[in-house]
Amino acid sequence: MAEIPEHLLKRAQAAREKAAAQKKTEGEDSAQSEKAEPAEEPEVEVVLTDENAEAALAILETALQGKILDSHIAPGRGLWIRVAIEDWRSAAKAAKESLDCKFFDWLSAIDWMPSPYGREHETEQDKITAEPEEHDEKEMEWGYTGGETRFQLICRVYSISRKIGVMIKADLPDSDPRALSLIPIYAGANWHEREAREMFGLTFDEHPDLRNIYLPGDFEGHPLRKDYPLLSRRMKPWPGIVDVELLPGDDE
Amino acid sequence: MGLVESGKIPKPLTKLLNMSRRYSMWVYQWGLACCAIEMGAAFASPRYDVMRLGVIPLPASPRQADFLVVSGTVTDKMAPAVRRLWEQMPDPKYVISMGSCANCGGPYWDSYSVTKGVDQIIPVDVYVPGCPPRPEALLEGIVLLQERIMNEDMAERWKGDPIVVE
Amino acid sequence: MVTTESEQMAYIAAQAADARVNVEVETDEGMTLNLGPQHPATHGTLRIVAKLDGEKVVAAEPIMGYMHRGYEKLTEVRTYPQVTTLVNRIDWLGSFANEVPFILAAEQLMEVEAPPRAQWIRTVLFELSRIANISLFLGDMAVQVGATTPVFYAFRDREFVLNQIERVTGGRFHPNFDRIGGLKDDLPKGWIEETGTVIGKMRDFCDEMEELVLGNEIFQARTRGIGVIPPEVALSYGLSGANLRGSGVDWDIRRDANVGLVYDEVDWKVWTHPDGDSFSRFWVRLQETREACNIIEQLLGGIPAGPIMAKVPRIIKVPAGEAYVATENPLGEMGFYVVSQGDLTPFRVKIRSASFSNMSITPWLLKGVFVPDIISILASLYFILGDIDR
Repeated sequence: MAEIPEHLLKRAQAAREKAAAQKKTEGEDSAQSEKAEPAEEPEVEVVLTDENAEAALAILETALQGKILDSHIAPGRGLWIRVAIEDWRSAAKAAKESLDCKFFDWLSAIDWMPSPYGREHETEQDKITAEPEEHDEKEMEWGYTGGETRFQLICRVYSISRKIGVMIKADLPDSDPRALSLIPIYAGANWHEREAREMFGLTFDEHPDLRNIYLPGDFEGHPLRKDYPLLSRRMKPWPGIVDVELLPGDDE
Repeated sequence: MGLVESGKIPKPLTKLLNMSRRYSMWVYQWGLACCAIEMGAAFASPRYDVMRLGVIPLPASPRQADFLVVSGTVTDKMAPAVRRLWEQMPDPKYVISMGSCANCGGPYWDSYSVTKGVDQIIPVDVYVPGCPPRPEALLEGIVLLQERIMNEDMAERWKGDPIVVE
Repeated sequence: MVTTESEQMAYIAAQAADARVNVEVETDEGMTLNLGPQHPATHGTLRIVAKLDGEKVVAAEPIMGYMHRGYEKLTEVRTYPQVTTLVNRIDWLGSFANEVPFILAAEQLMEVEAPPRAQWIRTVLFELSRIANISLFLGDMAVQVGATTPVFYAFRDREFVLNQIERVTGGRFHPNFDRIGGLKDDLPKGWIEETGTVIGKMRDFCDEMEELVLGNEIFQARTRGIGVIPPEVALSYGLSGANLRGSGVDWDIRRDANVGLVYDEVDWKVWTHPDGDSFSRFWVRLQETREACNIIEQLLGGIPAGPIMAKVPRIIKVPAGEAYVATENPLGEMGFYVVSQGDLTPFRVKIRSASFSNMSITPWLLKGVFVPDIISILASLYFILGDIDR
């Protein structure tokens, strides 16, 4: 084995001590309450990134002038904004120009309709006779920044200089889900929009070629819509959740 | 030769022919997914060294190959291509299906785009289970295929109708 | 197998219809060259249709989906612990690295944190899978430009790393070792010492590759100045990982947006190269493999003692919320956007895989290059089909 240098051993020792100290504080904390679990250090971090996200949100608000319908900051986890579908392209443009978000991360959509087939977990639901209407109708629940319609576009852009990622969401109209393509702003949006079209049946105006990207040309349906059934699950019996693995250190 | 077509091959000759077929097999590798890397490890790495079994990897085209290793997930989009290349191989030809996906769909048994088993489109001689199988498992599959070839009656194989998969 | 003539005609007609669906690149003038879907240079089942004018590519269009397995739909019907089994198989060369961002996203939503020991072991395994992944690239890139030997070396030395991963996780390829709140098991006895030896071997492997490939005149002629990506273009296409750093953008998630792994505890360097050509992408990956060796060696000396699993309920229900966690995988940024509605299964998982974005630049990049350069550019972009098609 290669000789471990002196400074590494020292650092290892320091890390061990740190871990031991942290464990100790954790033990004390848990005695008081479960909520106060994070030690002091992460809290400082959370405050820092929070400021970062708030500053970014303030910049976006001035750039978009009241077009932001809703926003959400998860401390240390990122920034979400929601705009109207008409402002979809201008929001991306504002993020690129005012916030220096040059890095195009990804673009996709979410179908907020609860699955009419339930979770497809229970064995009885996999019987062919199981009809969708047997399940009680669930209301649509939206995630962060809320929503109004079934389909929501979501796009993430990242600013390397500010180290902040922005999630931009926009509701798509139920009757005719279409949006302006982001290709003029981010060239990389091309394939992502093709994928979103194929998976959700959305339309992107001004997109040069909205062909299928994954599925064969004669494929019917849009798989990521919640009302697209996985037919193999209905044909084969599903044993249900049978296997719950024991966790290490979790004695019977 | 004429003997094969007439269906009368003396036993020693069958044995001789089978033995020579068994130890000089060109493998056409159809690497599709994760298993392709394990197949690569079996075929191209010095540790597993498939050539000691008399198997020669990397033929120039399927028209030179004796058997096909389908390793990995066959999707519905890929299936016609698998079938087309298998049809180009000269008879007698054999197929090894490597990995759970090629055997039966594997972890994607409920997917909307995966063919549940390559045996739906081409006949399979040997199934190698695993996700992915270790290179040793593939080597054992090859040995099993060689045993099968050794016990084959060539006249029987030629006389019969071509294998049809519905 | 077709027997009668009518069957044969029907078969040909079906095949022709198939081809029409797949090839949508017009062929009015010039020549159309079809690579794949099964071609040694495409690492699997990518298909590239290039329209040529002599030796020059007028337009090139990758056709994908031959490996599309529908992960995003399947995660909606799997429980959280079951999802890791699936996502292992996205980038099949560095499987462990695929689990980590998903687990971290789920942990964020559940507000649990893995104990320090688990975080350190995760980081070690993460970097080991980076070596397992990139070492194959180093050999494979050389094959694509005409040298056969390096790939044998790569397969030989990669086995040592796979053995170490197998000793901990039980799987050469798909470990499925990460759990929400920690790890499945602790390290086996004597593993740390042995990994130290393996790291030494991988260092030698890097030196060997550098001597064998990097200085080679043919290699340089085929990669220098080929496939140049300017940083602005790279960013707008969402290139990440070594492809971005090969274009001179100094950005690494491990350093700049690290979540849940212990990269802050070690001294290491982010390598960039200003040229942006195929050579620079190879060079950056070579240096990154060395850097991964450094990181592992430093981490091995200081793995803290303690539990490897935080307290989590036995049946995992993740509270409602949304989280996006990205990590710097061997191929680039891999992120999971997990939307939960308080159920046993995720409501929606968007998988941001590195190769998909990395490959989306190819129609732009392949325009105007010569036919042999297609191969070296594709090899240097380094994609894995499962990572593109998901």
